[in-house]
Amino acid sequence: MRVGRPAVFLLLALTGAAGAAQAQEPAEDPARVVGPPRGPRLQGAALETRADEVAGLLRCPVCQGLSVADSPSTMASNMRAQVKDLVAAGYDEEQVLSYFERSYGEFVRLKPPLRGVNWLVWLAPLLGLVLGAVVIAWALRAPRAAAAEAPANDTGIAAPDALPGPDTLPSDPVLARCVLRVRERAYGWPGGVSPAREGGPAAAPVPAAGRPV
Amino acid sequence: MASSERSSPATPAPRAVVNRRVLLAGLLVVAPLIAVLLLNLGRDPHSIRSPLVGRTAPAFALTPVGGGPAITLESLKGRPLVLNFWATWCAPCIEEHPTLVETASALRGDVQFLGVVYEDDEDRVRAFLQRRVAPYPSLLDPEAKTAIAYGVAGVPETYFIDAAGVIQAKVAYPLNPEMMAENLRKVRR
Repeated sequence: MRVGRPAVFLLLALTGAAGAAQAQEPAEDPARVVGPPRGPRLQGAALETRADEVAGLLRCPVCQGLSVADSPSTMASNMRAQVKDLVAAGYDEEQVLSYFERSYGEFVRLKPPLRGVNWLVWLAPLLGLVLGAVVIAWALRAPRAAAAEAPANDTGIAAPDALPGPDTLPSDPVLARCVLRVRERAYGWPGGVSPAREGGPAAAPVPAAGRPV
Repeated sequence: MASSERSSPATPAPRAVVNRRVLLAGLLVVAPLIAVLLLNLGRDPHSIRSPLVGRTAPAFALTPVGGGPAITLESLKGRPLVLNFWATWCAPCIEEHPTLVETASALRGDVQFLGVVYEDDEDRVRAFLQRRVAPYPSLLDPEAKTAIAYGVAGVPETYFIDAAGVIQAKVAYPLNPEMMAENLRKVRR
């Protein structure tokens, strides 16, 4: 449905007249949102520096992970100007951040405040670090503890009785054949089978090789 | 490997190689990630609930396109208000324009509609409105102060404000008649 232009202008005039009575009212008074300014009014270089610092703590809502201080977007530029106005008027960092948080939510803060579920964000890396250190310490201690338990000779090499027994073979067939070959060469046992076993039960069958090594 | 080889006395069958500690540690890491994923599967990542919903709408005093006295939010209280942030360069805004025009015409006198121009040039807006006439005023928002106060992060965004000046809904999509009707119900109760 289309509306004639005169009707639009009439509407504009009527609506405008309605608002004209209170046109002097400030658009949005930050003091109503975050209370009166808690800091000193700033100007000149101090203002620029402080405004940049605070803008660096705000997320640009139309960008991907950029702060308002770093983003070249028009939106960020407008937000920077507003940050500067607020800082100049004496609003402190927390008040400025709270003012924007009222509109955009906590999302607008680049540093999530330490409250509620946000504790996880701060503590999870520390927790990960501690857990990682525990795991590494445990992994390093385990072989040492095993070596300490095994009787050692002067050379520091585990005593023969600490080694796997002559009846023990690894489950991996290729490894088992290697062990038998080593036993044959090292101890002169035919086929790598302990002579003590010859009168005993049948020698352990060598698993079929999966593939040549 | 054949199972008969594993069952021999010299080559005991390997047990299922599952280190319970590693499994538990893995589950502790992976389970929360899966939970977060499942909880958010149906959610639109672009849809962030406005913290302003349920709160008093930020005040504004903006000049209409074409000139004239500023229009304030205060002056519009007493009637539901549909506040639409838009721009001429925004294709979805053009897409939703007919819905806004038709609804505003149909509900004239009952619901107030207002456009707020977002990051656009007044001449372009005026030219646009000459081609696509709207039965409600569009306001200029220099430096986007009102857009920022409303938490606008793109256009179109439409706020449904009840007669008491409380924001009841925010829509960050181009409106269609169904969405318009659904959200109008929230402010016309």
